Parts: sequence; structure tokens; C-alpha cells
Amino acid sequence: MAADLRVLHLHPSVLNVAGDGGNVLAIQRRAGWRGIGVEVRRADPGEAIDPAWSDLTVIGGGQDTEMRVASEGLRGQAAALRASVEGGAVVFAVCAGLQLLGRVYIPSAGEAIEGLGMLDLETRGGPERFMQHAACRVELDDEAETVVGFENHSGLTELGPGAMPFGSVLLGAGNNGRDGTEGARPADGSSVFATYLHGPVLPKNPWLTDRLIERALARRHGAVRLEPLPDETERRAHDEALAAAERARGRRTAIRAATLGRPAAPRRR
Amino acid sequence: MRGASPDNARVTTSTAPSARLGLARAAGRVAGAASRVGGRGGGTAISGVVAAWVEPDIRRRAFADRGLPVIAISGSNGKTTTAGFAAAALRSAGRRVAANAAGSNMIQGISALALDTVDVIGRRRADVAVAEVDEAALLAIADELRPRVLVVTNVVRDQLDRFGELYATAGALERAAERQPSGGTLVLCADDPLVAGIAPGHPDRRFVGLDLPESHDRITSAADSIRCPACRTALAYRTVQLGHLGDWSCPGCGLARPPLDVAVTSIARDADGTEITFRFRDRAAVASHIPQLGLHVAYDAALALAAVEALGVTPKTAARAFEAVRPAWGRLDAFEALGRHVILAFAKNPMSYRTVIGVVETLPPGLDLLLVHASSPVDGEDFGWLWDVEYERLRRLVARTTVSGSKAGELANRLAYADWPMPTVTVEPDEIAAFEAALRNTPDGGTLAVVSGYSPLRRIVEHAQRQGWTRHFWES
Repeated sequence: MAADLRVLHLHPSVLNVAGDGGNVLAIQRRAGWRGIGVEVRRADPGEAIDPAWSDLTVIGGGQDTEMRVASEGLRGQAAALRASVEGGAVVFAVCAGLQLLGRVYIPSAGEAIEGLGMLDLETRGGPERFMQHAACRVELDDEAETVVGFENHSGLTELGPGAMPFGSVLLGAGNNGRDGTEGARPADGSSVFATYLHGPVLPKNPWLTDRLIERALARRHGAVRLEPLPDETERRAHDEALAAAERARGRRTAIRAATLGRPAAPRRR
Repeated sequence: MRGASPDNARVTTSTAPSARLGLARAAGRVAGAASRVGGRGGGTAISGVVAAWVEPDIRRRAFADRGLPVIAISGSNGKTTTAGFAAAALRSAGRRVAANAAGSNMIQGISALALDTVDVIGRRRADVAVAEVDEAALLAIADELRPRVLVVTNVVRDQLDRFGELYATAGALERAAERQPSGGTLVLCADDPLVAGIAPGHPDRRFVGLDLPESHDRITSAADSIRCPACRTALAYRTVQLGHLGDWSCPGCGLARPPLDVAVTSIARDADGTEITFRFRDRAAVASHIPQLGLHVAYDAALALAAVEALGVTPKTAARAFEAVRPAWGRLDAFEALGRHVILAFAKNPMSYRTVIGVVETLPPGLDLLLVHASSPVDGEDFGWLWDVEYERLRRLVARTTVSGSKAGELANRLAYADWPMPTVTVEPDEIAAFEAALRNTPDGGTLAVVSGYSPLRRIVEHAQRQGWTRHFWES
């Protein structure tokens, strides 16, 4: 295949909290192993984005403090990101990336953080932190698979009518620990995918990675179906994570973040 | 028999606090010894549990109530190594030191340390305590410890599934500093922007860092804290030493690394260890040849130097004492087994991997590698950080790789995406079986590097000790 894939890693030095850079690596390798040339560009907060360039934009997770930096930095990039999706490009976002694609994030402390409004959802800081292995069922392009990862968030996300869940919760808390939804996509079917699953999620869910690559390639190369790879190693990692989620069912793996109390307020000396 | 239970002893004793402390010590020692005889390991934590049962207020009584000077060492990486240096320096200055040398740094471990400060009739048997304390445990027991000196090594993304966020960890350390007694000293790693900003109103902050003309590392997009702690602008670095540690400044608001009270001004690695020069404010520089490897040694020794100086130990005495401080178990610790060189490296986050990779890169190429990570309450559950580790740097140096532990599958996948030649990778989830196999597959005279998380490394070290393979190869 002589195709090439252009990947934009958005805010890599800010939204990078839980090894989410592995998602970009998974896309790079899985396309590369099939002879598809991959170019990765990075855009940090405030840097210009060419709306016509990217086939696939990846956004990682971050802490509340980093989210504020990202939110401000996204203001000048929002129009280009929106135009790129309208032009058929794919966006894949994790955790803080999901929250920033929504309308607003209202943290437990401090001012609301404005989102891009590309997904019809709102997030509020909740009283507890969901920190556990998790799994959900994802339907995409007439297939369904179990997607596994690790969730680590205190935000409670509610989807509006303009959004549909990315997956349905099998194990873990999902968007809010209550309604069984995990992540979000636009109800209109455009290619924005957002999930709370870290892990990083793409290396151990090769099925999902391949579907994202196919959709991204379709923008400039037309419909493609990727040849399967052996994926023995990926399946082992997937099954190991799924087994951990099953073992930990309903039990948080961690101390409550509240034990540490309020974060240090940044101060000038 | 109920009448003999430690619980009953607590209810009925009306003896003076010191006698009860002595009783707690006796009970704790018996429990620790029983645990060792029963093959349950060192028994450090169990003696703390039993002692706290006899005397629930054991930590407060041993430390705060007696005004025992305590050096508490906390932060993500380097606690054990820094504590080892501080204890050695104090001993060499003639002080009687109690230290939780077993690296047992949770609350039970601190109870066990409290025991070690008294004898069985409750008399003080230590002049100073050196306590390495887990970052989450520290705040809970800060009022009991009342540390005369608090050392913060660094704050990196370590077990986010336990601590939540970096800033929460820094905030907890700051509030622990507020609990220090008056006249207390706070020793901070100035090269870590987040740590340098802790407790700005504290009356006695002392800053430690590396003042070197050249960098030993570079900032990657996976670095931990490269934004200004005050205004969140991306920081500029004059030099980068280890991960996000270095000589930083903020182009946005002008905040910069504070002036250093203790500065490392040269580092030279040789076959036996590391030669380090320390500059100490207005005093003459002191040098020390430390029989340990890795850049982290410079930070840890300099932090210890600042901590013991606050308790009156001269830099010269401390620097000389450091020359006999061997690595704590598994901290780039080396021995020979079956004619192979084995180097054991504890790694628990991308930062500790950076120092390990820096040393492994200097080993002869064609080496054998064993990577072990396993989830547990101590080691955490979320191993996403493995994707921030630059395994790519080792690919060409390694002939054969074994991955092990309950995260063996995740490790193998990480290597696959680092473009590792997968036919050279063996997956063996059982840690001891993996260690034995990796050792036997290493050619005679070759080197096996073992990089592992805390709990599996401990099991591997215990296995190696049972086999009698504990000699350092630089002693031969």
C-alpha cells in the first residue's frame, strides 16, 4: 500500500499524564508494519494547526492544572480542529481530552474550564476518584469488541442528546459510575472518539487502533480495510488487563486521593 | 490466654510512658523475631504492628514527646539511598542513629523505627532517627514525627493510582512541612520545579541541586513537570540532569531555580563508583568517592549532606562517611552468580528508569535483560507509565530479554512497540523461574541486568541471598 498517514499529537507536553503517548506509538507502528508511511507532528498549546493536514488527531490525559493550560491553548486551535473533523479527519481523545472536547468541565475547586463543545457533554468534579482496571463493549463499523484499560478520574460526565456513548461499561465506572456509558462520540456519526480509558488503551486494543487508522486513511485514500496482523503479544496484554479488571470488580485499587487533601496552590516567591 | 495478650497489657499497665515504650519494644522484638524464624521475612513491619498494639501512641511518645531529633526523608525517588547516606554521616560523627534501614517506609515501618529508639526498659538508645517516609503516610504522622529536618527528594509521576495527581502529592508534603517544630529545616531539591516551590513561607529552606556545565539528560514530551509552578509557562532549562530535574527558569514570570546551599559541581564515573564534588555555600568544596553508580547518587548524597549539616555534622565528615556507603539492596547493586555478572536495578517510574538506563547503557553490549513488574498495593496497579520509559535506548544493547511478573504481557507488548526483535523475548510470569532461566541463558562471563519493581525485586534478592550470591563484583 502506498498510502500515507498524517498524525497530529495535540498538546504532547501537557496532556501526557499516564503513558498516553503510547497511543500515538501504537498508531505509528501498526500503520508502519503494513508499509504505510506515517508522519507525526506535534502541536503544543497555542501553536498553529493546519486544518487540512491531519488525518488523525490524538489528545491525551492530564491533571486539572494541565487542563487549564490546555483549555487556554486550545482556544486558538478550536476552529482548525473543528474544520478538520468536518473535512473527514478523525479525533481520538482520552480522559482530560474527552473533558476538553465537551462543553465545560466544572472542577470541585476553582473556576470552570471551558471546552471545545465538539462533543455534547458536561463534566463536574465528583467526590471520589475512579481508579481501577476497566472494560467496555465498543461497536464500530459493524463490529463489536471488548476494549480494556485503566480509568483514573474524578470527573462525572453526562452526555447530552447530541452525543452517544463510545462504549457500554462491562467493568469499571465509565463516565459517571451510574448510567453504564463509557466515553462519547457525536450522534451524527462524525469521527470523534473519546474515552476515559488510559492504559494506554490503543496498544492493547489493536482492533480499535486499526479501525481508527482505517477511518483516518479514508479521508485522503478512500475506503480501506487493513490486513490483520498476528497480534499475539497484543492479545496477551489485552487479556492480562481484562483479567485484572475481572479480579478487581467493584473494588478500587487505590487509596482515596482525598487522603492527601487539597493541592498546593501555586505561589510566586 | 487472654490475660497474657498484649491488648490486656495496654489496659492494665499504669506504668510510666517510658516503661510502656520498653514493653512495646520487647513485644515488637518478639514478634519480629517470630516472623523471621517463621520464614516470613525481615519482620520489620510486623514488629511495628505489635508494638503499636501495646502502645498505640508509640510514634508520638518515641519522637515528638521526647523531642528526639528526626530527619524525615520523603518524595518519590531516592528516599532509601538518601537515608543511607544521612545515617552513615551521623554515625561517623559519633551519633547513635535509629533508621528504618529495611526501607519499610509506611506507618508500620515508622512504628518499628520508634521501637528502635528505646531499649526494653524505655531508655533512649538513639540520639537521632533517620526516617524514610512514604509520601502519603508522611502527612498522617507528621505531628508524631515532628521532623527537625524534612527532606523532599523529588515529586514525579509515581503510582498515580495511589496518589491521584502530582500537585496533591506536593501539597501533602507542604502541609507536612508546616508541622515541623520551630527551628526546623526543610531541605528541598531545587532542580525539581515543583519541589522548589514547596512551603515558600518556611523560615529555613535549604536548596540542593546540580551545578554542572553540561547536561546528562534531555527533556522529553513525557517529562513530569516542565511547566512553571507559578504561571504554568513552559520552562526553559540551562542544563537538564535527570528527567525534569535541572537548572530551570521561567521565561513567563522570571521565576528560576533558587540559589543552591549545597551544589554538586562535578561528577566522574569510574569502575568502582562515582567521584562527586560538593560546594557548600561559603565553605571549601569537599569531594567524595562513593561506591555506587547512577546520576541519582549525586542528588541523594547532596540532599543527605544538607540534612546532616542542619544537625551539626560537618560536610567533610559526611563526605568521608559516604565513601563506605554501598548501594541499598537492588539499587544498581551487583554480584556474581554461576560465573555471570548480575546487576540489580529497582525501577518504579520513568524517572527511576532514566537513571537505570543511563547505567545499563555503559555495560558491555550483547547483554541479557530481565524486566519484571507486578501489581500489588505497594507497586500499584496502573502501569501505563511503562510507555513513558525509553526502552528504545536499550534495544540494540540487548541480546536476549525475559519479561516477568503479573505485568509480563504488558511489558512484552511495550517491547513489541519499541520494535524489539520479538523472537529474542521470553515471557515467564513466575519471577524466580524467570530469574533462574535468564541467569542460565546468560553466557558464562556475560552480564544479566535485572530491572524490576519493588515487590518482585525483593523476592529475587531473597532468592539470590538464599543461594549465597550476594558478593559485589567490585570486591573480587
